[in-house]
Amino acid sequence: MLWLIPVLFVVAFITFSLMHLVPGGPWDQEKQLAPQVVENLNRKYNLDKPFIVQFGNFLWNAVRGDLGVSYSYQDKGVTQILLSGLPKTAGLGVTAFLIAIIIGIPLGIAAALKQNSTVDYISVFFSTLFANIPGFVIGILFIILFSVTLHVLPTGGWGSIKQVIMPAVALAALPAAYIARVTRASMLEVKHQDYIRTAQAKGLASRVIIIRHMLRNALIPVMTIAGPELAALVTGSFIIESLFSIPGIGRLFVQGVFARDYGLIMGTILFYAFAVALVNLIVDILYAVVDPRIRYE
Amino acid sequence: MAIAIEATRPHHSLWGDAIIRLKRNRFAVAGAIIIFLITMLAFLVSVFSPYRFDQQDLNAILQGPSKAHPFGTDDLGRDVLTRLLYGARTSLAVGIFAQFIVLIIGIPIGAFSASASSRVDNFIMRFVDVIYAFPDILFIILIRSILGGSIYMMFLAIGLVAWVNVARLIRGQVLFQKQRDFVIAARAMGASERYITIKHLIPNSLGPVIVAVTFNIPRAIFAEAALSYIGIGIKPPTPSWGTMIRDGYDVIFAAPYLVLFPAVAIGMLMLSFTFLGDGLRDALDPRLRR
Amino acid sequence: MKQRLFCILGLLLIVMPLGLMVACTKGESTTPAPQVQSTPSVPQVLRANLDGEPATIDPNRASWSRERTVIMQVFQGLLGFNQDLTLKPVVAREIPSVSNGGISADGKTYTFKLRPEVTWSDGKKVTANDFEYSIKRLLSPDLAAQYASFYFDIAGGKDYFGSAKKDDAARTQLRSTVAVKAVDASTLQITLAQPRPTFLQIMALWPAYPLREDIISKFGDKWTEPPNYIGNGPFMLTEWVHQDHLVLKANPNYWGTKPRLSEFQLKMITDANAELAAYKNNELDMSRVPPGTEKAVMADPVISKEILRFPELTTFAFQFNVTRPPFDNVKLRQALATAIDRVAFVDKVRNGVGKPALSWVPPGMPGYDPNLGKEYEFNVAKAKQLLTEAGYPDSSKLPELKFQYSDTAGNRLIAQFLQGQLKDNLGVNLTLEPMESKAFTQFVNQEKHTWAWFGWGADYPDPDNWLPELFGTKAGNNHTVYSNPKFDALAKQAKSELDNAKRLQMWAEAQKMVMADTPIATMFYRERFILVKPTVKGIKTTGMDGQVTGDLFLTEINLTK
Repeated sequence: MLWLIPVLFVVAFITFSLMHLVPGGPWDQEKQLAPQVVENLNRKYNLDKPFIVQFGNFLWNAVRGDLGVSYSYQDKGVTQILLSGLPKTAGLGVTAFLIAIIIGIPLGIAAALKQNSTVDYISVFFSTLFANIPGFVIGILFIILFSVTLHVLPTGGWGSIKQVIMPAVALAALPAAYIARVTRASMLEVKHQDYIRTAQAKGLASRVIIIRHMLRNALIPVMTIAGPELAALVTGSFIIESLFSIPGIGRLFVQGVFARDYGLIMGTILFYAFAVALVNLIVDILYAVVDPRIRYE
Repeated sequence: MAIAIEATRPHHSLWGDAIIRLKRNRFAVAGAIIIFLITMLAFLVSVFSPYRFDQQDLNAILQGPSKAHPFGTDDLGRDVLTRLLYGARTSLAVGIFAQFIVLIIGIPIGAFSASASSRVDNFIMRFVDVIYAFPDILFIILIRSILGGSIYMMFLAIGLVAWVNVARLIRGQVLFQKQRDFVIAARAMGASERYITIKHLIPNSLGPVIVAVTFNIPRAIFAEAALSYIGIGIKPPTPSWGTMIRDGYDVIFAAPYLVLFPAVAIGMLMLSFTFLGDGLRDALDPRLRR
Repeated sequence: MKQRLFCILGLLLIVMPLGLMVACTKGESTTPAPQVQSTPSVPQVLRANLDGEPATIDPNRASWSRERTVIMQVFQGLLGFNQDLTLKPVVAREIPSVSNGGISADGKTYTFKLRPEVTWSDGKKVTANDFEYSIKRLLSPDLAAQYASFYFDIAGGKDYFGSAKKDDAARTQLRSTVAVKAVDASTLQITLAQPRPTFLQIMALWPAYPLREDIISKFGDKWTEPPNYIGNGPFMLTEWVHQDHLVLKANPNYWGTKPRLSEFQLKMITDANAELAAYKNNELDMSRVPPGTEKAVMADPVISKEILRFPELTTFAFQFNVTRPPFDNVKLRQALATAIDRVAFVDKVRNGVGKPALSWVPPGMPGYDPNLGKEYEFNVAKAKQLLTEAGYPDSSKLPELKFQYSDTAGNRLIAQFLQGQLKDNLGVNLTLEPMESKAFTQFVNQEKHTWAWFGWGADYPDPDNWLPELFGTKAGNNHTVYSNPKFDALAKQAKSELDNAKRLQMWAEAQKMVMADTPIATMFYRERFILVKPTVKGIKTTGMDGQVTGDLFLTEINLTK
């Protein structure tokens, strides 16, 4: 677990450097600000100090839980902004992930077991259909269908189940399709293994074979991709959150980058790095749980 | 009896055998043909289209499909069909070349990590975590400000941030395969680690990787569309399916076909890659030998 | 065995809180229910959209239109604007002038007399001290307010603003020299360093709105959160769910004519398509229209009746960098300006939304000259002739022309249109260089560009805001690097000329100089095109509306069946 610290440090350093290397700063606007104004702004947010000092200050505050302030959000603390937005993004992400798994895995299994049958082709068709429409297009099509034409769902916002459905499904579409394909592919691999044939020869019931033997092994590659998918879903999608006006953190990073809101950028990137590392850790643990032959020191 | 039959079968290499089996898979073949057709059309469009891809006709703005413009026109009066085919070039290029970068970096790193000692593996995976948590957008903005809005920038930018998944996937697979009996047998017979990795581990791990690649190609195209959406895409007037979808999205309430055609085009291409990919995966699976 | 158990437990610990988070968020609904009044009449609730979360609603610090929309409902200043953009007294009893003694003969001292009945929403009276406090706070170095520079004409203002590095004693001293004084509770006196005839218009802007020193001292940064956000305007901020919505309710203690609305709800939908969808789904009463879809909207039998359009005081133009060859050649610039079919662009590409622009100052602004710039009307033959005069009879011998712009949907359209025009009309190839937004802004601000796209909207309705800032030598927003000593001399005079007729005449001359030298090639004046539900009545629009149409006169809006 200790490796988390150097990882976060490196990510923070790289981001901080990139942030200052990239052309354009927070005060660059079309209606250029008077030089005295820019000077005072830089002074106010300590941007006039040398790079190392700024980075040092950031780290020192970060370990104490203070991720800086955001220029885009009333100088509010970034930690506070993240904490208030996180439940929404995570809630949406987890919901979408669950949908993706509930649809993807069974579909993949069914397709593998009945290879080249109708089910297989339906699953291929479905997964390719959803894999080839970008999130924001699925999103706006849903909105046009369910809000504008049928008037059964609100166009966005957060808080009620009606408002979660569309963004969650739009988000889940591509991962579901991907998970279905990977599940199918790896089930097929496992299906033809010798030990499966042995189990069948032994006379074990199909269901037992599937669950106890095939699934366990087939799910390994699925977990490999499921981990990062979950991480991506939890850190949020800028496009979906913008389209459905979800006040989460998915929008924060991209908006922060475009506004050069340094506080927001650093805070969200540390959070992302932490979340990703955490999810990967969970996935690695799951490996050990599922496959007893894999051991870590 | 079975042994006798086995012995009289002609010997094929893994790859040679794969191609034979691939040819037998009708859907894979169909997929390959469609990919080939689209590619050909993309390259020959200048021959049979009466329009340039940047030819503006201000009197024919946002018109639906008609005889003169079978797929309609966009917001500057340009012919959608022509742009769609030119766009195929760009999108195919982005999708495929970005994948090259992904595979060239991802496979060796993933395989190496898995076949190395546990300490080295751990270290590499942490490094991979860092890359994964990388601020993609910042990095892409930086690359873009250095390299401009060219198509090479796109491959590089997308490839450099996307190889991580493949690395992880390969590593997971190789770790699994490492324990398998045939690997232990090969080692007992005296094969070197390098030989085992290259000849056994990687080809056997390719299954999920191929599926991943066939998904990464549309993902790369969408990444390109999304980057366009937020303002750091390929520069106009070069059409690409991603930018066409993005531009069409702005006027979706007025001209939904502008989004529809590129989306369907991507769909067909992806379906083809999927069938081809599945076919490849099945063909490379030695257990499906017949 | 133990290890597995541990792992499973670990998993549960992580999954459970996540599950709880999902469950807990379901409780709160973020769409507030409209207030239904006791009478069976239509609820007077107007639902509109801001295109995002306001960065700040502190009047001293605000600069964006979405921030202004909120601020202008909760606060009011000494002066305001009529619908025709002339000034009107609001908190002040009358507009200061030389004849009523409000302005001194030398034009440097302004005396405002406040109305005695003006109150804050918590009942306290608004005094001149509130204005003195606000303006001095605006100019304080620590606040780093973006519009502070607009108030540098006030004697002592600039020095105080620049005193960040000085110690406390020096700063306090400088603050006291800022020439804004509450002579008594109802009289405010301001002295300028030099006469500035447009000062009254600047005083009508939001950074000079009054503020409550006691509230800000007590709550610090939190003063902008309800219920601390106390103002003297017709509405109060009652609810702010960050990044989701804002609710403003009518101020029951408002000293003036009460608004007809009881509630004003602002959502924060950033996506233009989502906003239109919300309008169509009856979640909003007013909505933008995604650019490019106007024709379809105008053709729709139902919503075409709900269109509201009016011109804005905003001009879009191409700015050349006159120090970079080949754009240092005035004939070349003129050739390019004449080769663009603006009329076709506005009529065909933009569906008639907007007006082709041949000169810089837009219609509706004093100083607009409809006869200026006719020589740049689209004329291919003339353009070719100018090109030859520029030294390029053969257009293929032109060095590479590059065009930079910020990569947004609208700009992409303009850029590609321009590229097509130059190719079709002059046979010239234009290289497009889209850039990421901030990178582009910095690029232009550092004058590294060659030819770029830009727009300018009025801060206040006077050519004083449109000419010297952009075309004066080394002026803050002059990125064409245009430098004309004659223009500078004229601008200097006009800035402090107290005779209004003479002043406007000078600005007209100045504008003629600029158009002749062509550091910019104007393209079009912007027009706002929105949809408004037929139940909304009483909207009064101006060319300077903030993000929500009619927000300068929100008190007049009401809803019917």
